[in-house]
Amino acid sequence: MKPKHIRHLYSRGGFGINPKDFSKLQQKSKKQLVNQLFETSKNSTPVKIASFNDIKKYKDFRNLNADEKRELQKLNRKKIIELNVAWIDRIFNPNEILRERMTLFWANHFVCKAQNIFHIQQFNNILRKNALGNFGDFVKEVSKSASMIKYLNAKQNKKQSPNENFARELMELFTLGVGNYSEKDIKESAKAFTGWNHKLNGDFILRERHHDFGEKEFFNKKGNFNGEDIIDIILEQKQCAQFICEKIYRYFVNTTINTNHINEMVRVFYPNYNIEKLMRFIFMSKWFYNEENIGTKIKSPIDLLAGINNVAPYKFKSKKQLLYLQKRLGQQLLNPINVAGWEGGQSWIDTNTLMLRLKLPAILFNNAVISLAGISEFEDTYEQYLKNRKRRKSYLKIEVNETEFNSNYSNLNALQIQQHLLSGKLSEDAKVLLSNIAFDKPKDYCLQLMSLPEYQLC
Amino acid sequence: MKRREFLKNSALASSLFYVPSFVNAFNNLNLNLAGYKRLVIVQLSGGNDGLNTVVPYRNDIYYKNRPTISQKGNNILKLNDELGLHKNLAPIKNLYDKGYLSIINNVGYPNPNRSHFRSTDIWHTASNSDQYLNSGWLGRYLDSYGKTPHNAIEVDDSLSLVMKGNKLNGMAIQDAKQLFNNAQDPYFKKVLEHHNDQHLSEHNLGYLYKTMIAAENSAKYIYNKSKTYKSTQEYPNNPLGNQLKTAAEFINSGVDCKVLYTSLGGFDTHFNQIGRQERLLSVYAESIEAFVKDLEKNDTLKDTLILTFSEFGRRVKQNAANGTDHGTANNVFIIGKNLKKNGIYNEMPNLSDLDENGDLKYSVDFRRIYATILKNWMQVDDKTILNKTFKPLTFL
Repeated sequence: MKPKHIRHLYSRGGFGINPKDFSKLQQKSKKQLVNQLFETSKNSTPVKIASFNDIKKYKDFRNLNADEKRELQKLNRKKIIELNVAWIDRIFNPNEILRERMTLFWANHFVCKAQNIFHIQQFNNILRKNALGNFGDFVKEVSKSASMIKYLNAKQNKKQSPNENFARELMELFTLGVGNYSEKDIKESAKAFTGWNHKLNGDFILRERHHDFGEKEFFNKKGNFNGEDIIDIILEQKQCAQFICEKIYRYFVNTTINTNHINEMVRVFYPNYNIEKLMRFIFMSKWFYNEENIGTKIKSPIDLLAGINNVAPYKFKSKKQLLYLQKRLGQQLLNPINVAGWEGGQSWIDTNTLMLRLKLPAILFNNAVISLAGISEFEDTYEQYLKNRKRRKSYLKIEVNETEFNSNYSNLNALQIQQHLLSGKLSEDAKVLLSNIAFDKPKDYCLQLMSLPEYQLC
Repeated sequence: MKRREFLKNSALASSLFYVPSFVNAFNNLNLNLAGYKRLVIVQLSGGNDGLNTVVPYRNDIYYKNRPTISQKGNNILKLNDELGLHKNLAPIKNLYDKGYLSIINNVGYPNPNRSHFRSTDIWHTASNSDQYLNSGWLGRYLDSYGKTPHNAIEVDDSLSLVMKGNKLNGMAIQDAKQLFNNAQDPYFKKVLEHHNDQHLSEHNLGYLYKTMIAAENSAKYIYNKSKTYKSTQEYPNNPLGNQLKTAAEFINSGVDCKVLYTSLGGFDTHFNQIGRQERLLSVYAESIEAFVKDLEKNDTLKDTLILTFSEFGRRVKQNAANGTDHGTANNVFIIGKNLKKNGIYNEMPNLSDLDENGDLKYSVDFRRIYATILKNWMQVDDKTILNKTFKPLTFL
């Protein structure tokens, strides 16, 4: 496969590739490379930060005294930060590369936010486990997870007083897309999900006395459907495959939909909903490597951070700083903007985020001063709020792995570095500019390339 | 460029700014700046307890529900026979006496959400409670009526959803000089120098270049404009005071911005509310006092309207930790010189008719306030921005 295409495969199917790893792949064919990508993602290794022990005191929360409550919540918050950092670490140093890429994608599809660290971790690992599996099983497992049951008020959905929130989002955001179901479908299906609940350890439980065992009419079918039946009926709709294929296409291929490509994808995906098969089809297709799909997508903040890490691995000494940085860039893992998720594309960019993004390589490479404070949580007290505001300008505490950088880049010439860092087609202007930048040391050269707007694309 | 030079230059501002033709065209737009109306927003983040801010001091239900945290009658700054302001709001009481304040009670929306995030989103996007929008109401104002990002400034380091439009975003500026220095990076200039306008038509890359040009341009404009005015007014040294001081400098120097957004955090008073809220209300009142004085000295108050809101109020009944939990409807303060209806705008909250959670029932949809401001103050089409017609109120 062409070098450019190998990089494209790894930038969309993974988080980029460094020159050393790249050199090992050069002689391989497309089929071999795509196979390898799936082969390395065959296993799913769950992230483990929290254990049930960390949260078991919540069982008796009411009876704890104020200090114990605060202590418990403090530990919980601390572990959430650790989980965020552990996830970032997966993204920066992935073994199961494609699986991690898909996990990040699904996290913005099955958008969910929870407070309980143990449930958050479970949910994150559900995404990871099902990332390349069967979409139907995936929907069911997500729907029965403690995090989702809480997030979309399934707990409050009872026979006597149905809550339609979950039923609505299931169809609008997770499976069919807005306008592809009726209000009646929502009402009827909400009945089928009544009584869905979870135990403290995250296990699903059906509270029978809250469940409506009666008849429901859903998509012109009648029966005593339960929640799983509803999901199965949704999967029968070809629109569900269409909706998922479009979303995958916009994320992995191009924000502009090509109807022919989507139709091909739907033929592969429907009715078995095998995600691995679908992704393999995309990466093996000719059009995935079309010029208009390479280097034309705006990197998400996480892509940008991972890309810079690919050039020179860096480690944050302060976990909180890494979290603040994500927030400032507009994408903090485990903290989605709303149930619809991040819109992506141009919405990542405003004048403030762009200036930060353009300076980010210089900031990270030089432990520069950056204003990362001013980010407060709603729950903060005024004292905490004041403290955050006062920390305004602080040095990033990071360690950059120069050895790793050198072993990758010290032997490359200017053109090779360019090809590695800038994936899109270079304009004549950019070429002139690049020819004016002195190639002195690889590090300086990289830094300057990474400060170009072109570097914001992948 | 050598590395050392690059780094040195990155941190410093020097040499002239090369202006591509695109920017020239942009600068030549002659905006009529004289006498237009500005909106300043103060968000009390975390959910301010409205019942202890504007206190129903004759109401038995209020005292019964709040045995340890209610505000006692003799301290209260009485507004009328029923309502009074918290004792630390004396500067706000002054504005009330002057006729510069309108207090709107029971502001909320149907099916209230008690999550900070979600309710803030609802206020920011002006959506229904079951609707998810990716643009804020002030961002959409920019989409339709703005020309450049600095027409709507958030006095902070990063931009909130409220300031994000579908086509145009506002700009976050905490410190005009720092922003200017950042934007005047010689390396960026070099990049722009080598940049041809034809790039701008390319989809994503063009968008990046356009945004980069806008950032440089706005940063330079704001810095040069705002440094012509230095406030002589003394402000309390707290985060809101600092933000409002910056806002006053932008306003009094005539920066072309129509919306300024500020916020103060710390209002989530689940425990030990009394002392915590007292302090916050002082910070709020003293900062507003300085700001209003500053504008009045410069005769810009007449063209400025200040809206204060919180994402929700708090529950009527106090909790076991001498605090209050998340509630629903709340009061909103409108401060300005030419209010058509000042004082207490509408009826006080009805504490004997609460919802199933024991929370207040709203009577004024917050979007009616937005509609009033857009229509009667900013003089734009409120329906375009709010996607729906809301009946305006009569305070303007």
